[in-house]
Amino acid sequence: MSDQHTIDAALAGDQAAWDTLVNRFSGPLWSVARAYGLSAADAADAVQGTWLRLLESLHTIRDPGRLGSWLFTTVRREASLLGRRSRGERPVADPADAGGFRPGSSPAEDAPDPALLVLSADEGRRLWLAVEAMQEPCRSLFRLMATAPDAGVHQLAGRLGMPSGSYGPTRGRCLNRLRTMLTAQEAAS
Amino acid sequence: MTRRPAAIDDESLIAALRLAAGRDPVPGHVPATARAAFGLRLPGAATALPVAAPAPRGVRDGGEERLLRFTTAGLTVDLEVTSMDGLVDLAGQVSPCPEEGTRVEVRTPHLTEARELSATGQFAVTGLPPGWFSVVCHRPGQVPVVTSWTRIRP
Repeated sequence: MSDQHTIDAALAGDQAAWDTLVNRFSGPLWSVARAYGLSAADAADAVQGTWLRLLESLHTIRDPGRLGSWLFTTVRREASLLGRRSRGERPVADPADAGGFRPGSSPAEDAPDPALLVLSADEGRRLWLAVEAMQEPCRSLFRLMATAPDAGVHQLAGRLGMPSGSYGPTRGRCLNRLRTMLTAQEAAS
Repeated sequence: MTRRPAAIDDESLIAALRLAAGRDPVPGHVPATARAAFGLRLPGAATALPVAAPAPRGVRDGGEERLLRFTTAGLTVDLEVTSMDGLVDLAGQVSPCPEEGTRVEVRTPHLTEARELSATGQFAVTGLPPGWFSVVCHRPGQVPVVTSWTRIRP
């Protein structure tokens, strides 16, 4: 069933069509929310909010090819708001700053969504191949980061044998290196 | 060949690595809640979107108060949100005051509370669990108005 048919069926009240969307996107949406450093409870909240927003906006998604992009834009925003709040940057509620946030109306709408491209099974395998080709500490850092999603900076740094203050900058450098490797692969392919 | 945009953000890379590693799968209750949310759809309803609300009048003892405003053509829903002891109280004002027989529902993914509007357009619901909620205003003979889903944290 094409995305257009699935969206049309869901709009017509077909629960099975909605379930198809939920089953396809829940895993990637969860991983994105968790990548913002959210606890499991907060990530569940961000993903739930994403589906509720889709429910109220489904009829406005004219281009079904944009559905994945719409979902990822929305979960990133919810996750980043929740992350800021759980760090105490603002105590209650969220919507006053929602000054007309509509993912579909974003001017960047025409760019392919990077998350959408990278969050596929093939890309995942490719990413790990690249990681395995990296030098230390990046290889261990990524392995640890992926297998211990709830570990704090202190714990991760300890396992890697580096001071806590070095973990963030090192992770940033490793991510940059990985990005560069992917871009180089892309250019060579 | 897929066209790759110049910058993949850090979070997307981390998410992709973790997704492929399969060590932090989405817990079953998350998609289950999402599937159940389909029961909350309101086809044909007009969505009232958040707009800047007037500043809160003050903070009550032991609680935190926040004003939210949602508007759609011809209808405004103002909500005063108070959270205390981990639960949320909502006091609402619908304006202009709709005709008699207007019913309001406060919905969360887990429960729905129905209220008759007072003669002055007010309603209140207390003891809601924190999390996502939306308010539906059912006016006789008109399409329902529903406030955009909003998250309230304790």
